Amino acid sequence: MTSPPTPASEPALLEVRDLRVHFPITRGTVIRRTVGNVHAVDGLTLELATAETLGLVGESGCGKTTLGRAIVGLIPPTSGAILFRGQPLGAKRTSSDGAERSHLQMVFQDPTGSLDPRWRVGTSIAEPLRLNHIGTRTERTERVSELLELVGLSPGHASRYPHELSGGQRQRVGLARALALNPAVIVADEAVSALDVSIRAQIINLLQQLQDQLKLSYLFIAHDLAVVRHLSDRVAVMYLGQIVEQAGAADLYTDARHPYTVSLLSAVPVPDPVAEAKRERIVLPGDPPNPASPPPGCRFHTRCWLRTRLGNPERCAVEEPVAQHVSAGHTAACHYVHEVPGQTGLSPVGPAAEPAS
Amino acid sequence: MSADDAAQAATGDSLLRVRDLVVRFDSGRKVVLAVNGVSLDLEAGGALGLVGESGSGKSVTSLAILRLLPRSTARIAGGEVWFGGRNLIQLSDREMRSLRGKEISLVPQDPMSGLNPVITIGEQVVETIRAHEGVRRGEARRRAADLLGTVGIPRPRDQLDRYPHQFSGGMRQRVLIAIALALRPTLLIADEPTTALDVTVQAQVLELLHELTAQHGTAILLISHDLGIMARMTRRITVMYAGYVVESAPTAEIFARPSHPYTAGLLRSIPRVADMGRQLTPIAGAPPEFDRLPRGCPFAPRCAWALDVCWQEMPALIPMEAAEVAGGSPSGDHLLACHNPVAADEVETGKPLRPGFRPAPPPEDELVAQETA
Repeated sequence: MTSPPTPASEPALLEVRDLRVHFPITRGTVIRRTVGNVHAVDGLTLELATAETLGLVGESGCGKTTLGRAIVGLIPPTSGAILFRGQPLGAKRTSSDGAERSHLQMVFQDPTGSLDPRWRVGTSIAEPLRLNHIGTRTERTERVSELLELVGLSPGHASRYPHELSGGQRQRVGLARALALNPAVIVADEAVSALDVSIRAQIINLLQQLQDQLKLSYLFIAHDLAVVRHLSDRVAVMYLGQIVEQAGAADLYTDARHPYTVSLLSAVPVPDPVAEAKRERIVLPGDPPNPASPPPGCRFHTRCWLRTRLGNPERCAVEEPVAQHVSAGHTAACHYVHEVPGQTGLSPVGPAAEPAS
Repeated sequence: MSADDAAQAATGDSLLRVRDLVVRFDSGRKVVLAVNGVSLDLEAGGALGLVGESGSGKSVTSLAILRLLPRSTARIAGGEVWFGGRNLIQLSDREMRSLRGKEISLVPQDPMSGLNPVITIGEQVVETIRAHEGVRRGEARRRAADLLGTVGIPRPRDQLDRYPHQFSGGMRQRVLIAIALALRPTLLIADEPTTALDVTVQAQVLELLHELTAQHGTAILLISHDLGIMARMTRRITVMYAGYVVESAPTAEIFARPSHPYTAGLLRSIPRVADMGRQLTPIAGAPPEFDRLPRGCPFAPRCAWALDVCWQEMPALIPMEAAEVAGGSPSGDHLLACHNPVAADEVETGKPLRPGFRPAPPPEDELVAQETA
């Protein structure tokens, strides 16, 4: 459980600078030509500090999964840089930056799909060790037992097959495998979304406990805003490949400044019938636009309720907004940040003044 | 008592009254009771939520009401399903077919598998209308376009000849709602209708379901694991665990005063403002395997309130005494199946606050059964 020392001069453990991931759309089978690009991640910048959790929320197709995969090196970025402790990581996983890459690990949504059904759980957990030629067979077996205990299972589980485990136990195995190489950063992509409510709470607690114990940093990607709020120190909201708002968790949920964040928060049903009845709701029209041809200007302007309220200013449709400073650590990319009314009461977990239940 | 009187007595003022429903799955090697004596009541125009985790039997219950269980493996082994004066379990397949879609309809979870991918949207709506009403094609098409308009599909006339894959998930779910409401049913069963959708689209679909059912006086049986959706959409909630109903009460009361340890545990498992920075209180363990249910209450192995009797005997679902309910519940509306209910002050902590109390351990033979399992 030793992590390499961090030079004092470095502020961020992980830094993503102006990252772009474009997927070509091709036509034709013999003569393939590119007819367009899906801008899955389009000029995205973020930072992650040691032992910090950054929540990343957004709807399907906003690029949050692509971002997570690009960070761990599963997808090569089109442009931009990913820096780990100040060192840029190569575009592809190569042996040269293998050591750096091993500090970035991923936990997937579907624990059934991400474990080989024909492998014993112990074999799956030991795989990263084997691939990196770490330890002897006996040492690896010991390490597997240690990892299983770390995630709340018993060493005896190593000899089981995935189908013999429950969904929660399988997700614990996924975590154990991600922890095998002592990573500094874990990208958790919808890691608790497929689990039942009572089991989900167990895994959420486990994630917090491991963070305290191992000083892990999480990039926690999820669509469940209440869970993200619970786990995150900071939250970034993505829309069509870009971050539209970023703030401390408490700040974002009580004082959202981007119209998209406001509508996202207001759309989440609150598990409290009294608060739910009193809540004002902003229902967005339509679906998110196609990321292959994002709207010009502000990408959200086609669905924006604030723009309608302000009488459809032309600026939104032509000029791309830059991130504006709202308060310390709080930015929002909207031309009319200050027109957004105070949002207390729209939070999906209820206003702070009146705790749920 | 004549048959009509019996039906009247059984139905009372409920639109849907399920009594002691038992559903058996028989896979050849093992027999499983997926629904184990479930009782439900839903009044005309009401909104009842069925909450439970995967495997709790909530979807099986709804399929049993519609008599859509797979014939080869599942059998309704007992109980009654009263709907509008008829016991649905005794109806012939033909009678059931004419009732489905017209009087009771279903909005399924997955909008893609609910639609036929090789038939146009218009044809699928027209088919539903024409199967039940002797109207001409043109008339049915006109009504189909109107319906698509009602559920908020832009330019409905142009959309009739398009195929499901040309629609987004939210739009497909709207089409399914249009089909489900085409014949103005008195009961709509919605099984996780928004689980596959994004938050903002989910909000649109919930709003639509709420509006349309209120407008037509359609009762809704909503199945979901999302307690937020339940708070928004239902007037009453029935909580299921391992094929049993463990608690049933008006929505506000379930949230304010959960009395079954499982219900209280579910509410303590979801993050809330008051819990910021604190650990959640999850329910220990995992739901039981159906072929390995303990003898007594199926929740006993995970329950912090368990008594010795809980390992021996499943408690009956009975009205809580008014005195037991904080603030009193004069209607006797709060049903509970528990030997040792959660006290008011224990709801927040999520564990028993009784000096010296320890949950009863499983009896010896139960331990042996678990070891060998």
